[in-house]
Amino acid sequence: MAQGASFPYEQVAEIGGGAYGTVYKARDVESGKFVALKSVRVQTDQDGLPISTVREVALLKRLEQFDHPNVVRLMDVCAIQRTDQETKVTLVFEHVDQDLKTYLEKAPVPGLPPDRIKDLMRQLLCGLGFLHSNRVMHRDLKPENILVTSQGQVKLADFGLARIYSCHMALTPVVVTLWYRPPEVLLRSSYATPVDIWSTGCIFAEMFRRKPLFCGESEADQLGKIFEVIGLPSEEEWPKDVTISRKHFPPLFPRPITDFVPEMDEQGAELMLEMLTFDPLKRISALNALEHEYLKEEETPDTERESVAVP
Amino acid sequence: MAKTGFCEAKPLLDLHKKAEERRPPLRTWANACGPKDRRHPQEGAEPRRSQKVEPECRWERRLPVSIKDGIITGYYENVGLLNECSDKAMLLYHHGFQGLHSLLRHEVEKAMEKLDLTWDRACAWDMFEHMIRNQYRNTFLSAELPRPFTDATRTVLVDWLIQVHEMLHFQDETLYLAINLMNRGLRQIKVSTANLQLLGVVCLFLAAKKEECLLPEVSELCYLMDNGYTKRQLLRMERKVLSGLQFDLSHCPPLHFLLLTASIARCSAKVVWMARYLLELSLLEGQCVVYLPMQLAGAVLCLARRVLQEPPTPDGDTAWCIASSIHIGSETALLRIMHILAGAAAKAHCRENRATFVKYSSALTMHVSSHPVLQNALCLLALPPLHT
Repeated sequence: MAQGASFPYEQVAEIGGGAYGTVYKARDVESGKFVALKSVRVQTDQDGLPISTVREVALLKRLEQFDHPNVVRLMDVCAIQRTDQETKVTLVFEHVDQDLKTYLEKAPVPGLPPDRIKDLMRQLLCGLGFLHSNRVMHRDLKPENILVTSQGQVKLADFGLARIYSCHMALTPVVVTLWYRPPEVLLRSSYATPVDIWSTGCIFAEMFRRKPLFCGESEADQLGKIFEVIGLPSEEEWPKDVTISRKHFPPLFPRPITDFVPEMDEQGAELMLEMLTFDPLKRISALNALEHEYLKEEETPDTERESVAVP
Repeated sequence: MAKTGFCEAKPLLDLHKKAEERRPPLRTWANACGPKDRRHPQEGAEPRRSQKVEPECRWERRLPVSIKDGIITGYYENVGLLNECSDKAMLLYHHGFQGLHSLLRHEVEKAMEKLDLTWDRACAWDMFEHMIRNQYRNTFLSAELPRPFTDATRTVLVDWLIQVHEMLHFQDETLYLAINLMNRGLRQIKVSTANLQLLGVVCLFLAAKKEECLLPEVSELCYLMDNGYTKRQLLRMERKVLSGLQFDLSHCPPLHFLLLTASIARCSAKVVWMARYLLELSLLEGQCVVYLPMQLAGAVLCLARRVLQEPPTPDGDTAWCIASSIHIGSETALLRIMHILAGAAAKAHCRENRATFVKYSSALTMHVSSHPVLQNALCLLALPPLHT
């Protein structure tokens, strides 16, 4: 079979290293539209494509049916055999020019207006709530994979990829930024959907600060930086199943979050603290965050878009 | 939903032999398209994408999907299907739509939880709404198959897959998913007649990858096809199917609607087995692909109740009334499905493709397929046989 012909995309440019492989900008030959190609090489043994890959990609396809406004569209999936032992699975996503990182960089001084931040947060949490209610966690949320269209629409990208790639990651040395990682991941404790809320809290702060909140250089350094803000958790709060001892960290008291994010109002600060809660079980959920006073108040036209939200 | 396919690793070949003892040889299909055919695959024969649409089906598709009022189009309004409890229905209607809706919602949530279709009762109704919306994706506009495939070849393949599925001790969901993938594959992927069996087996393999915990080895699958294809060919077909179907393996099996409705309607075990038998027969009928899973489930339950004629109880009637307020669709569609399946059940025992008949004649399934009334099932509908 001529597989070249069945792959109607021509590469235009490399748009990012990404932790899991190169991402290409490409053009759909038929429609002329730009797409983002993400490929993963999967070991295919004698049982064909691994179950995990089949299930995870099928899950992404299922999410696609909901057509959620705050989630990037998955337009196409291709499986092409490279060698006997390797199959390349290419995911074709809609291409959005801009991510939150560049969006923040481009914002004129003194940064984004508070209402804009509120709107971005609403959309971000809306997309996240949708993923979480479908039992998908992002696990690697950061400004680089939060896309912002020219109309200001937020679209989450790269969710669920972590699991597709995880079985094959041993092959490539992965450099993932630590800055948005929650304490439970840094401590190698068990984790679930609250990881994304932590990252969202960090990103929330970054929208005001226009620079990251916690810039650790190692996992321990990252934890140290976190405790400088939220204080060292009590002995009871420290997870039981971790090897890293609480004694390694200096006893620190929590400092007011407004010391680090000065431009924020009281309700925003309150929500941020609920997101940056050490104990994942006590951390606010995406759906509850959407109900929070900070995001609730005025009924802007944006709520129309959000009413389509979580199925 | 996916439970362990086998409890222990049983040698497949033994199962195969046992199965062969009690029913016609499994590999008839493989024998039918001999190795000569396979060496010269007719790749040129391009499947024709059918544009022709039966007006009736198109209408079915355009049914409102709005859940709030859409699913409460109980066919009591359409009258006549079930006279015996129409008084009860009137009673419910007196309480008004709102009452029936909240009653139904409560029952659906309970049943979803009981059947393990939801992980959280709070999400149950949302999940149910999603099932309803999603089922439109699993039906086809037309029953017509691209050339050179015919309903007859399809039926032979489905019958064989039902046997393989049973031998491998897979879940029923896996079978429904496999046949759905195959129906889509037949229409969306270019396959030659010689590779038809390969397509079928790959669909079953992929369905198992989605639903099952334990998978057969590729070599075992090749053995089941008389080694008429190599492992390499099978894996190539796997990639072709996955790409062709865009990795879209989501399917809402009609079986879930059946079990859900039966649970709400408090149907007896025998009615449920009978309905499951009839539903599985629908897999063999090419014409059934145009109907919604919910319609199929509703129709087989109605038919099963008519066949078994269990004495009515007040509680049972009320429960049935609540359950039947779910069914989407016209009475015409339901009657038509009942008609097709009554015809299929009547001749199931003497057909060449009788894997389902044999499966449901066992004690485990309460011998439903050999129920005497089934042979005259069409008389129950008081209609002449369909012209097919």
